[in-house]
Amino acid sequence: MTAILRYLAAAGIVLLGPAVSAHAKPIKVVATLSTFADLVKTIGGDGVEVFSIASPKFNPHFIEPKPSDVVKVKKAALFVHGGLDLELWRGPLLDAAGNTKVFPGQEGELALSQGIELLEVPQGPVSRAQGDIHLYGNPHYWTDPENGKRMAQTICDKLCAIDPDHEEAYQQNLKAFLDRLDQKIPEWRSRLTPYRGRELIGDHRAWPYLMHFLGLQMEHHLEPKPGIPPTPKQVEFLEGYIAERHIPAIVRAAYFPQGAAESLAKRTGARVLLLCQNVGELPECKDYQSMIDYNVQQLAATLE
Amino acid sequence: MRSHLVRVLLCLIVAQPAWADPVADELSTLRQSVQQLTATVQQLSSTVQVQAARIADLERSQTASTPQPAPGAAVGLSRSPAAGGNLSAFNPEIGVLADIVGQLSESSADGEGNDKLSAREMELVFGHPIDPYSRLDVTATFSDFEAASLEEAYITHWGLPGEVKARIGRLRPKIGKASPLHRDSLDTVDEPLVVAQYLGAEGLSRTGVELSGFLPVPWTTVTHELISGVMEGGIGEGGTLFGAVRRRPSYYARLKNFWDISDSSNLELGTTYLTGSKDDDADLEVQALGLDATLVHYVTPTNKLKWQNEIYLQDRDEAVSTQETVDGPVDTLFENNPWGFYSLVDFRLSPRFGIGGRFDYVEPVDINPATLVRDSDVAFGGYLTFYQSEFARWRLQYRHTDFALGGNDNAVFLQGTVAIGVHQHQLQ
Repeated sequence: MTAILRYLAAAGIVLLGPAVSAHAKPIKVVATLSTFADLVKTIGGDGVEVFSIASPKFNPHFIEPKPSDVVKVKKAALFVHGGLDLELWRGPLLDAAGNTKVFPGQEGELALSQGIELLEVPQGPVSRAQGDIHLYGNPHYWTDPENGKRMAQTICDKLCAIDPDHEEAYQQNLKAFLDRLDQKIPEWRSRLTPYRGRELIGDHRAWPYLMHFLGLQMEHHLEPKPGIPPTPKQVEFLEGYIAERHIPAIVRAAYFPQGAAESLAKRTGARVLLLCQNVGELPECKDYQSMIDYNVQQLAATLE
Repeated sequence: MRSHLVRVLLCLIVAQPAWADPVADELSTLRQSVQQLTATVQQLSSTVQVQAARIADLERSQTASTPQPAPGAAVGLSRSPAAGGNLSAFNPEIGVLADIVGQLSESSADGEGNDKLSAREMELVFGHPIDPYSRLDVTATFSDFEAASLEEAYITHWGLPGEVKARIGRLRPKIGKASPLHRDSLDTVDEPLVVAQYLGAEGLSRTGVELSGFLPVPWTTVTHELISGVMEGGIGEGGTLFGAVRRRPSYYARLKNFWDISDSSNLELGTTYLTGSKDDDADLEVQALGLDATLVHYVTPTNKLKWQNEIYLQDRDEAVSTQETVDGPVDTLFENNPWGFYSLVDFRLSPRFGIGGRFDYVEPVDINPATLVRDSDVAFGGYLTFYQSEFARWRLQYRHTDFALGGNDNAVFLQGTVAIGVHQHQLQ
C-alpha cells in the first residue's frame, strides 16, 4: 500500500510539475532603452524575461525598430518606456506589433516618468525653431540616481500589480536595490563636492539630471539647439567660451559623433570626457549602479 | 530730636532692601533677556549663513529650469500632459510634408517638374487611434502640377485571430521595398525606374484589404512576415504592369525575411508575387515576381551603409496584336517576360551629409520590339544629401538615362523636403 501511495505521489509530482513551472513562467517585458531593461531585470529578477529595443550604442532619439523588435513587442506582457517624447519611434513600433495589451493606457504599459521631477520644461510657446525640443521637459532623467530610485519603485509597483504571486520577491529586490543606492548616493555626491559649481560643455542636452545631482553646471553644448548637429559657428563660440571660463572638459556620450568634440578639444586643450548615457554603452557601465559609478569617477578624475 | 534722627536713619537702613530688591530683579531679568536675544541672534545668524550657502550652491548647480513634475499618466505621442481634462487631446495628429523639386533636363517633354521648380507634392497627413483596436491614417496630396488626390485613407485593425493585422481602405500595398514608401522617405529624388515604369511614378497606391502577420517560428534571429492583399484593379500613374480597369481586382503576397546579423548589421530578403489583368476581362493573365535584398550595416552609430536591390520579373501572357495597315495586317508580338531591377547604395557620411548612387535597368512593356533601339532603359546616377535637421533635408541628384526607344537624357534635381507638425512613418 505504501509503495502504491509513493508511486501515486511521484506520479502526481511529475504531472503537476509542468503546471507549476508553467505558472512560474517569467513575464515577457520589452523596454525601449537598455537602462530601463536593466532596472526591470534588477527588480524582476527571475520573474521576468527582459528585452530592450534601442542598443545603447545608438542615439535613442533615432532608433529604427527592426522586425525582430516588432515580434518581441507582439509577445510582450509589459512594455516599459520613458513616458515622454524621447522615443518617438515607439508609436510606429506599437502600431506594427499590434499588441493591444501594451498600448498606451493599458495594464501592460509602464511609463517610467511617473513621479519624476522634470528639468528644462519649456515655458511659453514652443516650436521647432527651438530645435528638436522636448514638449514635456528633458527626458534623460534616469542619469540622476535619485530618479533611478523612483523608477525602481514604479517598476516594482507595476510588477506587483500584474504578478502578485511574486510580490515578496519583487519587494525584496527593490529593497536591496534602494539600500545599495542609499549607500552609494552620499558617496557619489561627496566625491564631487569639492568641485560643486564647476562648468562643463556637453554634446547634447542629455546631462542636466546628472549635473543637477552632482552640483555641476552645463550651460552650453556642441549642438547649438537640441538635435541640431554642431555648426562651425557654435564650435567657434565654444572655443572662446572654454578659454574664457577655463572649462576642463567636453562631455560626450559614446553614440554622439566624435568629430566636433575632438576638434574642439584639440583647439582648446579641454579633454573629451566619454560618459555613459545608458547601461551597456561602455563595458564599464554593465548595470545601473556601475553606470552612475563610472560617470561619477570619470567626472571626478577630470575635475581633479 | 536726636532719638528721632536715629530712628529715621535706622528705618532707612532697615528699609533699604525693601526698595533695592525690584531693581536687582529687573536687572537680572534684563540680563537673561539679553542673553536669550544674543543666543537667538547667533542662531539666526548661523541659519542665515547656512541658507545663504545653500542658495549659492543651488544657484550654481541648478540649470535655468526648475524641476517640474512629470505627467503622471503615460504620454502618447499625440497627447499632452494635461490630456486628462482636455478634449483637444482627441484631435488627430496633423502633419504637413512639402516636397519641392527643381529639375533641369534635356528631355523636351512637358512632364512633371521638367525644367521647372515645382511644389511636386504637399502631403497633409492625419492620424489617430479610433478605439483600442484600430487606427485611421489619411494622406491627402496636393501638387502644383496635378489635381489634389487621396493618396491614403486606411484603417489599421489589430487584435484579429492569429495575431493578424489588417489594413483596409486606400493604401500603399507592401510590395517590395521602394513602392510602399512615400516620396519623402525615399533615398533618391525619383522612384527607381523599375518601380516607376511597372507600378507607377509615385509607387502603387490602391484601395484594398491587406492582412499581415509574423510566422510563429521558434528561432529569434530571423523573423518571417507574411503579407497578402487584394486591391482594386488599375495601376499607379504611368505604370504598365496591369491595365487601367479598376473593377478587376489584383492580388499580391509578400514574404519578408529579416536577419539580425548583429547589433550593427541586418539583412532583409523578400519575395513578392502579384497577379492581375491588363484589360477588362476577369483573367489574371499578368503575373509578376519581385525579389528584394537589403543589407544595412552601421560602420559607426552615425555612419550607416545601406545596399538595396530589387528585381521584378513579369509573365504577361501577351497575345499577338494585329493591326491593319495599307500593306495588309501586321502582327506584333510584345515581350512576354520583361524584367527590370535596380541597385542602390546609400551611405550616411556624418549627421549632416549622406551620399549614394543607383543603377537602373528596365525592359519596357507593350512596346513593339521592332521599334526599340535597345532592350531596355538604363539609368545611373548619384546624389548628395544635406540633412539640415531632423525635419528638413536637401538633396542634389544627377541621373543619366539611355532610353530603349533611343536617345538619352541627363537630368539634375534639387529637392527640398520639410515636415511640420506630427507625422508618424510606418516601420519599413
